[in-house]
Amino acid sequence: MQPAMDQTQLRELESRCIQEEQPFCTAACPIHVDVRAFMAALAKDDVREARKILDRTMPFPEIVGRLCDAPCRHACKRGEIGDPLAVGRLEQFCVSRTGPMLKLPKLPAKGGRVAVLGAGLSGMTAALDLARKGRPTALITPDGEIGGRLRLLPDTDLPGETLVQARKLLEGYGVTIIAGGPPDGAIGATAARLAGEYDAVYCDLDSVELAGVPDPLTLAVGAGNCFAGGGPGADDNFSVIKQVEDGRRAALSIERFLQKVSLSAQRDREGSCATRMVTVIDRIPPAAEIRPADPAGGYTPAEALAEAGRCIQCECMECVKQCAYLREYKEYPKTLVRKIYNNLAIVQGTRSANKTINACSLCGQCTVICPHDFPVAEVCRSTRREMVATGHMPPSPHDFALEDMRFSLGEDCRLGRHQPGHATSRFLFYPGCQLAGSSPELVIRAYEFLVARLEGGVGLILGCCGIPAHWAGQHALFTETLDELRAEVDRMGRPTVIAACSSCLAIFGEQAPELNVTSLWELLDGLELPEHQGPRPPAALVLHDPCTARHRPDLRASVRSLCAKLDLAVIEPEFGGELTDCCGYGGLMQFANRPLGEKAARVKAERGSGDGLAYCAMCRDNLAAAGRPVAHLLDYLFGRAGDPDPLARANPGFSVRHENRARLKQRLLARLWQEESVPMPAHAAMRLAIAPEVAALLDCRLILEEDVRQVIAHAESSGRYLVDPGTGHWLASFRPVRVTYWIEYEPTDAAYRIYNGYSHRMRLPEETP
Amino acid sequence: MTSFSFVETTAWQCAGCKLPLQPAEVKVSYLNSVFNVELMVCPGCGFVLVPESLATGKMLAVEQLLEDK
Repeated sequence: MQPAMDQTQLRELESRCIQEEQPFCTAACPIHVDVRAFMAALAKDDVREARKILDRTMPFPEIVGRLCDAPCRHACKRGEIGDPLAVGRLEQFCVSRTGPMLKLPKLPAKGGRVAVLGAGLSGMTAALDLARKGRPTALITPDGEIGGRLRLLPDTDLPGETLVQARKLLEGYGVTIIAGGPPDGAIGATAARLAGEYDAVYCDLDSVELAGVPDPLTLAVGAGNCFAGGGPGADDNFSVIKQVEDGRRAALSIERFLQKVSLSAQRDREGSCATRMVTVIDRIPPAAEIRPADPAGGYTPAEALAEAGRCIQCECMECVKQCAYLREYKEYPKTLVRKIYNNLAIVQGTRSANKTINACSLCGQCTVICPHDFPVAEVCRSTRREMVATGHMPPSPHDFALEDMRFSLGEDCRLGRHQPGHATSRFLFYPGCQLAGSSPELVIRAYEFLVARLEGGVGLILGCCGIPAHWAGQHALFTETLDELRAEVDRMGRPTVIAACSSCLAIFGEQAPELNVTSLWELLDGLELPEHQGPRPPAALVLHDPCTARHRPDLRASVRSLCAKLDLAVIEPEFGGELTDCCGYGGLMQFANRPLGEKAARVKAERGSGDGLAYCAMCRDNLAAAGRPVAHLLDYLFGRAGDPDPLARANPGFSVRHENRARLKQRLLARLWQEESVPMPAHAAMRLAIAPEVAALLDCRLILEEDVRQVIAHAESSGRYLVDPGTGHWLASFRPVRVTYWIEYEPTDAAYRIYNGYSHRMRLPEETP
Repeated sequence: MTSFSFVETTAWQCAGCKLPLQPAEVKVSYLNSVFNVELMVCPGCGFVLVPESLATGKMLAVEQLLEDK
């Protein structure tokens, strides 16, 4: 098969996630200062760290930090909810309270002599950048002074010592400052002479004038070795940060020129640029700019702290905010997909991301939220499939669920019949494995209702659509399962399948589009409903859509319509409908990472306050297990007088689900078709006494009562078990297939009393399988 | 091959042989890996006890480690 991901696909996927895009301020900044990190440092009262961030990107922070005209301010997202951040004033605060924190490295000296003519801020920046790159650089200024028009500024705006520091910095990096440029206006000839003497020349248009307009991208003047920039812009507006940008742009052009590589390639991210960042500000309260009490003195530390604290730290993380899985593994899609790619690439060593890959619920909520539809579920699922295909799928995450699926498909549970008294079926009721396991009585009532209301015969199939195998990446098993179902539907004359489970519906829609399928909800919405006689909820219920109904607006609308007809008041949770969460069962999450599955169920349960209403059996049971009273919509559709309150029903657990499925088949066969079922194994009659806390422990450890019975039956028949003379308890073990179960119990007259159970996969010497 | 000991005094006795368990070296295996470990074993019939603490602790950790290899 195709590998789940090659490098091109990885890059394509990575580029869809915008979390690492520049925030709006950084993108707008011509030299891309990390304003967000600067604000975060100031908001932590760490002025030195803030200064480090300026030092990393800004040449001459003492100057630029005081004078920057802050074009970032117009891009600031805060501007949409209050005032944009006072970035300039905060930079002034920072540089006036700190000295240089970082000394950026200088590359080893190399050839390529450069002359910078004019020592305004753009010339200074070009000279500094080129010197750092190891180019011998001469900064030529008419009077031997640097700063250009900055020297005209009053000391209150720019203290004189900042230019002294800047000069020291330039000299420290090896820039030769030469007095004796030409008088203003006579530049053309000088530039031409320097262009002959040096390998490249940069003219700072703040100090000098030049005939010829530099190319805006490269600042090259003509095709030779002459570059120019800086000075007032076309609008005659002198922007400090524009001086820096031009000096830096020219330095890069000159470096490329000296290296004889393209001057123009890949320069679209230089200077102010666009960003694909998305930051949702809906829930952020507005906040006005903090004004300094003494405007001339600038911010006090407390004022700076408060102003920086207004920064909302723009990022996307929209999917992560909602997804328990991404939060648990501290990933966003871009980092996740890289981790998965690396995990797939491991030849020898620990595949440490296996659990991450198997823990995703594959619910697709993130894809709906993502501005670029990042397909996390599809990546995880196809990766699982590749892991299975290459023999790298660990057995433990999916074994139990796949065994559960085999049980649903086995002789004990599987059933396929035309309606009693019919040789053909126009319809076929397909309740799905989990509804049969959770609410077998509701399956019977729903079926009897359909039989009574629909003409032309309503067949019934109990089984499983194969979605657990699909989720587990077991493609062969999944295809085989679905093919068998398809064949059975064919044999029954291709009736319209009425599916109660939205997971089955999702599978049929994606993988078996040739089947004629409708949802139970849409069908019921078109029929006259039975008169409701059972218990009613005391208040409005929070309606929990299942994750597999995410892309079925029609189905969700029918559910709401049914609720209205039943006079059931429902509350729409904030994240319902297309944005609904998974209950922890999807993707077999709860088997790969049980605590995470429980967390996901709690997240879903807590999306609304109050009792809930579900129409997926797994949602119903998992939300109930999370401590939230939840009923199933069928409870109210087919409720009868004397029914217990459906909101009080506990999570049945795995053992009871198994038993429910097996008994459902027996009951249906006996009641509707007057048939005997296959005999149950002898040990099925064994009576067990299990205290609720022990039952909960066994369920948590995925030990079924069937396993318990097998262990005891094996101990009885083989005579091999341990006894504790002190307690009188027995301890026995049995390995039916891949797991060894240990059960501590005590035989009593009435039943076997169970005290404990645990299991392991490691094989002991005497165990053969 | 290194041998790990998980021997601890236990009240469990073999029901068939009516003997207290004793430490013995046994080979346990999982996913093509074999380990020699010292466990409590019935000296009569060789019944090996895997106590709950081992099954849910060290043994589980090693199983998961091997699954990710």
